Amino acid sequence: MAAPTTEGRRQALWSYALVAPAIIVMLGVLGVPMVRLVLLSFQQYGIDELISGTAKYIGIANFTAIVQDAEFWAALRRTVLFTAYAVTGSIALGAVLAHALVRMSTVLRWVVNAILIIVWSMPQLVAISIWRWMFSFDFSIIASVIRSLGFTFPNRDWFVNPVMGFGIIGLVVIWGAIPFITISLYAALTQIPRDYIEAAQIDGANRWHILRHIQFPLLAPVYVILITLSVIWDFQVFSHIWVMLEFRPSPDYYTLAVYAFQTSFGISQYGRGSAIAIAMVLVLLGATGYYIRRMIKETR
Amino acid sequence: MKERRIGANIIGFVFLVFMGFPVYWMVTTAFKLPKDVLRADQKLWPTSFSLDNFRMAFSRDYFVQSIMNSLIVVSVTVVVSLFLALLASIAVARTNFRGRSALVVMILIVQMVPLTALIIPLFLQLSSLGLVNRLPGVILTYIAFVLPFVIWTLRGFLAGIPVELEEAALVDGCSRPQAYRRILFPLLAPGLVATGIYAFIQAWNEFLLAYIIISSQDKQTLPVWLAGFTSRTGTDWGPLMAASVVAAIPAVVLFSFAQKRLAVGVTAGAVKG
Repeated sequence: MAAPTTEGRRQALWSYALVAPAIIVMLGVLGVPMVRLVLLSFQQYGIDELISGTAKYIGIANFTAIVQDAEFWAALRRTVLFTAYAVTGSIALGAVLAHALVRMSTVLRWVVNAILIIVWSMPQLVAISIWRWMFSFDFSIIASVIRSLGFTFPNRDWFVNPVMGFGIIGLVVIWGAIPFITISLYAALTQIPRDYIEAAQIDGANRWHILRHIQFPLLAPVYVILITLSVIWDFQVFSHIWVMLEFRPSPDYYTLAVYAFQTSFGISQYGRGSAIAIAMVLVLLGATGYYIRRMIKETR
Repeated sequence: MKERRIGANIIGFVFLVFMGFPVYWMVTTAFKLPKDVLRADQKLWPTSFSLDNFRMAFSRDYFVQSIMNSLIVVSVTVVVSLFLALLASIAVARTNFRGRSALVVMILIVQMVPLTALIIPLFLQLSSLGLVNRLPGVILTYIAFVLPFVIWTLRGFLAGIPVELEEAALVDGCSRPQAYRRILFPLLAPGLVATGIYAFIQAWNEFLLAYIIISSQDKQTLPVWLAGFTSRTGTDWGPLMAASVVAAIPAVVLFSFAQKRLAVGVTAGAVKG
């Protein structure tokens, strides 16, 4: 901490002046709504309140309502299962590809990298639209390919069965997540000094030993970051479900994010929707809080 | 060595197909004749070439308007967020003031709050400020959402510039703002470009917030306009794929320039060799 000299105080004032505009914008647009989310969850807030701008506090009624609501628990279950599927899939596939990239021929590595960058930078709505097109009811290329392999496979609504529907939506999420995960892991892998691996090879280590005892332990912190971020992102997947199901998903597809959104904007129960959102944040914090704290400590 | 290469190449090729096929399918669909797009039996290889889908997409209502809206939103977001972040990151990287670490923690936490939880109060907040269904509402929101990452990354670039250079300028009689302008900013330029590109891509690509905030068609950004290709009667697949190609190009091109500088940022320094 700076000594309380005039120079020190002037410097501090100067710093505050520099940070203030950014802080004001972030607090106004992100901080205030965070507080408001908590307040809303204790309020009766519907269309009338939206128009009049005043709301009545109703204690924990919103929360008792959602706890007694079977739909909420079903949505929570779907969200957890979906997150587990999407996170496992994207981390596992990203790791396989990252390790393969290290040993791949230069030309192929270059091409794969180019594709990863294209997928990574694509607008989310474009990405989802392509997959919706690939799995459309009448004109699906996937169904056509399956037929061309000799199977009887009529065109179908792929989303009638929610297990299959979530399987496809998860695939879209995994596909979109692979570039970031692969490139992060690949960057970390190439940072491992060559001597470590050479020394191990001289001592007779095979590829599996190197993977298990050198690469994996050294990359563990990166995995922790990537898994934590993936859990946070996949737990709140919304646009994929919303757009893949043409902006009106059936209740079979209500994850917590969709359910909170539908409760708020669909039936204008903003207070109740906020309570669901709060529950979502709490579950997420419970699952990742420890790792987030560790990440914050490390970056300080 | 050789057979290991083969294994890695096979894995690489499988991923090339999985990652690349949707992109291939978007592009080839976009350039097909409309009658070949809507076929119950799709062919893997392109059977026709035409620009009809592009023509149909461009002649849809509000095409030019939504590109203009997107450009306005993106440029204001980039300029304002870079300016605010530059000021803030100088303070974070160059001085040690009370509350500095609180700011760093806040930046990280802000990045982790679920967007879908924030949407509800954010919408009501904008509504009470009279900013719903207006571009300034979208812009303000985007600035706040990109700021944490932009500050964080700029701070990293700043930390790489030796503070002695500025101090030397101060000793030589420069004022602090002069030292920043003549010494710091030129050295920081590559970092500003990279983070500016990040802000551009975020604002150009974002769908959900704009979808919630904007309700009238003449104020749509490009992704919201794209969502309008789907109605209750179905989806215009050919034009949608053509318009998707157009919407994806700016982000893809810019990102391939900035990727090296931005990508590693998240996990940099995590491996200690």
